[in-house]
Amino acid sequence: MPRFFFARPTQADRLTRAWAGLIALSLASALLTLMPVGSRPVGGGILLLALFKARVILARYLDLERSPAWLRGFTLVLSTFAALIFALYLV
Amino acid sequence: MSDASLIDELPGELLMWVLIVSELLVFGAGLTAFMGVRLTDPAGFAEAQSHLYRTGAALNTGVLVTSGFLAARALRWRHAARRGAARLALIGAALLGVVFLIIKGAEYAGKAAQGISYETHPFFLFYYLLTGFHAAHVLAGVAILLLVAWRDDPRNIEAGGQFWHMVDLVWILLFPVIYLLG
Repeated sequence: MPRFFFARPTQADRLTRAWAGLIALSLASALLTLMPVGSRPVGGGILLLALFKARVILARYLDLERSPAWLRGFTLVLSTFAALIFALYLV
Repeated sequence: MSDASLIDELPGELLMWVLIVSELLVFGAGLTAFMGVRLTDPAGFAEAQSHLYRTGAALNTGVLVTSGFLAARALRWRHAARRGAARLALIGAALLGVVFLIIKGAEYAGKAAQGISYETHPFFLFYYLLTGFHAAHVLAGVAILLLVAWRDDPRNIEAGGQFWHMVDLVWILLFPVIYLLG
């Protein structure tokens, strides 16, 4: 197999993948709002997708993937925020 | 690991991270208050939300994440001594910021044409407050991106990019809560 199959992606490749992932997650959010299921699972799904998008921005655009401890900290705080918003949504 | 080394791990300008955390706290508090007030009138909030232009807001998500991509790319190109490409990417990112503001302006104009103001319902008070405050950050971000395209030292581009990604991050959190959680 050619050697480039095993090559590590460059920073530019990783940014392009991050952008493609963000667009895909945004489309998934839009599709989720059209699904014929209850509003509660849809709300939870939308918040989860937003959390994934926020993590991609932090890791790749803001380069926190170079600092895993900070990335974990931000992810924890944003996850807590999303859980609080979802709890208020469910009340 | 000491505190000093942990802080040193943060990429870019430390003060920009202080700003990012501050802005996340401000918008987070605003969105939590929005959801708290929603509890007093869920049906009214859902009805008010049905007047929002969701397609335009979803389009704006794509516009901002693409703009953020260009801003991030600009820094990589500047580090690779590709100054022209970096400047073009920053100008492209700023132009997409302008596109965001045009779509947002059309959304506000549509609300005004329907006679909807911040006094119509508490939902719209939060809507105008949070999206308007965010739009003000987009406007500032456009100016910053153009400034760092001109004064293109890598540290300037990195700090400008950090501000722009913060604007992107806030929108990613604001959009689902204001526009989608009905």
